[in-house]
Amino acid sequence: MIAARSAIIRLGIGAVNPFAVIVGCYLLFAGHNNPGGGFAAGLVFGAVFALRTISGLYRPAHGIAWVAVGALVVTAVVLMPLLWGDVLADQYVFSVEVPLLGLIKTGSALLFDIGVAAIVVGVILAVLDGLGAADLALDPPPPTRRSGRE
Amino acid sequence: MILNLLLLHLFVCALLAAGSRRLGRIGLLIGAVPPAAATVWAAGRLGASQPEAADLRWVNGLDLGLTFRVDAFVDVMTLIVSGIGALVFVYAYGYFSSRAAGVGRFATTLLAFSAAMLGLVWADSVWTLFIFWELTSITSFLLIGHKSTDRTALAAARRTLMITGAGGLVLLAGLLLITHSAGTTLISRLTPVSGTAATVGAVLVMIGAATKSAQIPFHVWLPGAMVAPTPVSAYLHSATMVKAGVVLVAVLGPALGGVASWQALGLAFGIASIIWGAIGALRHRDAKLILAWGTVSQLGMLITLFSAGTPKAILAAVALLVAHALFKGALFLVIGEIDVRAGTRNIDELGGLARSMPGAFSIAVLAGLSMAGVPPLLGFVAKEAAIEATLALDGPDRWAIAVGVIGGSVLTVAYTVRFLIGVFGRGPEIEPAPRRATMTLPAALLGVAGIAGYAALGPVNDVLRSAATRLSGTAEIAKLYRWPGLTPALGISLAVLVLGAIGGVVASRRHLRTPAPRGARWSDGSLDATLAFARAVTGRLQHGSLPVYLVTMTAAAILATIPFLSHLGLEHLYRWHAPPQAILAVTIVAAALAVASVGTRLGAGLALGAVGITIGAIFVIHGAPDLVLTQLLVETVIVVGFVLAFGRLSRRFPPVGLRWRAVRLAVAGLGGAAVVIGLIAASGDPAGAPPISEMVSGSVGEGGGRNVVNVILTDMRALDTVGEVVVLTIVAVGILALARAPANSGSSTP
Repeated sequence: MIAARSAIIRLGIGAVNPFAVIVGCYLLFAGHNNPGGGFAAGLVFGAVFALRTISGLYRPAHGIAWVAVGALVVTAVVLMPLLWGDVLADQYVFSVEVPLLGLIKTGSALLFDIGVAAIVVGVILAVLDGLGAADLALDPPPPTRRSGRE
Repeated sequence: MILNLLLLHLFVCALLAAGSRRLGRIGLLIGAVPPAAATVWAAGRLGASQPEAADLRWVNGLDLGLTFRVDAFVDVMTLIVSGIGALVFVYAYGYFSSRAAGVGRFATTLLAFSAAMLGLVWADSVWTLFIFWELTSITSFLLIGHKSTDRTALAAARRTLMITGAGGLVLLAGLLLITHSAGTTLISRLTPVSGTAATVGAVLVMIGAATKSAQIPFHVWLPGAMVAPTPVSAYLHSATMVKAGVVLVAVLGPALGGVASWQALGLAFGIASIIWGAIGALRHRDAKLILAWGTVSQLGMLITLFSAGTPKAILAAVALLVAHALFKGALFLVIGEIDVRAGTRNIDELGGLARSMPGAFSIAVLAGLSMAGVPPLLGFVAKEAAIEATLALDGPDRWAIAVGVIGGSVLTVAYTVRFLIGVFGRGPEIEPAPRRATMTLPAALLGVAGIAGYAALGPVNDVLRSAATRLSGTAEIAKLYRWPGLTPALGISLAVLVLGAIGGVVASRRHLRTPAPRGARWSDGSLDATLAFARAVTGRLQHGSLPVYLVTMTAAAILATIPFLSHLGLEHLYRWHAPPQAILAVTIVAAALAVASVGTRLGAGLALGAVGITIGAIFVIHGAPDLVLTQLLVETVIVVGFVLAFGRLSRRFPPVGLRWRAVRLAVAGLGGAAVVIGLIAASGDPAGAPPISEMVSGSVGEGGGRNVVNVILTDMRALDTVGEVVVLTIVAVGILALARAPANSGSSTP
């Protein structure tokens, strides 16, 4: 791709990358009280992976595995309360005292959000695979490919 | 205890599934453990005055849960299901050779069936019953198709699944109607119902029961199911699964017995099946098919007696239910042993087995005489009670019932005699293979149980009477007699035996033509025709052109908004909250026009992005930060997707013909109008107050979060989110399948 040949884009994406991951994590954890949540976090992570793909950087393969793991987590969180005799999809809230950060209130909803995020990332990865991103990410495009200018 | 026993079944099932390769035949012996445990538990409960109940709530708001209840009748059914189940597992250990393939899979599926059948008889909620009902259909399908390389087995399995599956749907509809008019979903709380809905529901339930219990004309799957390994035929297709319909008729009898069409339909199914099933048993030459047709006939007898519904008839039916499970199970097990050791089950090819297989012979005679209703066996007691109950009936249909019960008894004696003569009488001498103790023992136990039940009729009588009392709802009920004395019923019984024996001897001398399986062919043919039609429709609709798909979907959406046209209220439309909204709206319209008119793909993509981001700005004005965030992120990811896709596509859109362009314009314009109409209708006609305030106030307390949107997604409406998760997962799998498909497998037009 064009991006793969451009050092500026590649370096720029590499530089933005960690911040984007931090933003994604923030959205994931903040989601319960502020705007954000699993879906938004998954989109941010997915966008990171998509950018890495078009610039020819490494990204995880096997989106379907992410989807599978996420779906398992979500199902487990929903079914778990049944084991304790509670109703389906009941929520548990914990408060943890963490050094430096102080009292943190969290709950099984966070796990749920993590599962949703994993699924969203997985679907984006699957779309990237489906669009043939695997060979687009190769550095020099093979000359036989239709360039679209014919 | 109920839940623990079910869990034990599931646990051992998982164990067998995990070790199916390594365990081999040993898995069958392990599989016998849970049914044996259930048998011991049920035997210990016999005579208990209080029913035992178990309730596992699942979704409180929807009143969903697994509800079980074991009373006197269910206890008897449990003994049949689990007792015969344990014996069949042991028997299967001898039936399969140590080199047989797929034994582990067989053991797993058989135990899964055993659990499903227990759940079915234990269920108190009709929905619990329905779930287990369907599970037995599915496991039955898998077990019939056990020999997955055999085309006849696969065809029979498919036929069974289609007929019992369709019956399950009919049953579901019937149960919905009945529970709606009765106001409860618990079988134990059902009260007699009446009214049109209840009548229709009762008829539907009876049809569903008839498909499962192989009643004319739905019986066509049962003879075909005989291709399954014999343990399956003995267990599912004579002793237990086919009784599911009978059980349903029995337990719903108190509530639905007053509905005239329920009784009439049950009697019609039952009497027709008694006669036609017995005639079928007289005409076939494969010993297993003789027994299968006999099962159709006996099930008809059970349905008839339960539908007749008098206390005497119900007691007779319960006795016959037990006796039939014992003698038919024993006969099937014997035939399986003969099949394995002699290599055939055709009565023309069998001969001299009375001498060479004395064990099997004596068991078969014992069980066969019980089937024919000869004293001193349990079958005699049941038949005597049935005739007695028939004579005591009044009302216009008593003659039809009498013809069914007495005529059916004559034919039963006849096909029993023909069966015994055919299998064990003279014929080509066969040298059977050596005996296997694990096959003989279960059959012997079942055979001897018939005579033991007769000998110990006192306690048996108590058990069966309390079961029948539960079903008929009245305490004053008849009694089973070891020897009725010189009554008209005994006279009829003797006449039945003499006539039937003569008929059986005559039938075994004459060479009756084996009928062609016309019903099976007809049902297979109609299924094949349905599939061919579906393929033709799919071929027309799934032609592979994306623009045409889009146009079709949009047109369907447009049609869906037509009902809303009458709900349009323009009075609460207003210009704007804040003036910037107007500017944003103009921008959106302009960008949308640009999308439609720009000739390059890149330009269209950019304009589309402008539309999305401006919509995000509108959300900002409305103060919905969550939506803004999601909208912007989605737009971003879509842009990246466009960049990737454009690498493969031409830079400009391909040219479009004038007429096609007009169609697309019209559909797109109408689609936009439809969205506007839908939105106006939705906002103008709210159904009740929005539950927003309740959700906001409950957010922190129940969900532990201040972001209401997120709390709704993860807590209050978590099930909806799970639904979306499922959709996303399916999408991902679909994309994967598309990406892996060969590039030019079909004739895809651009």
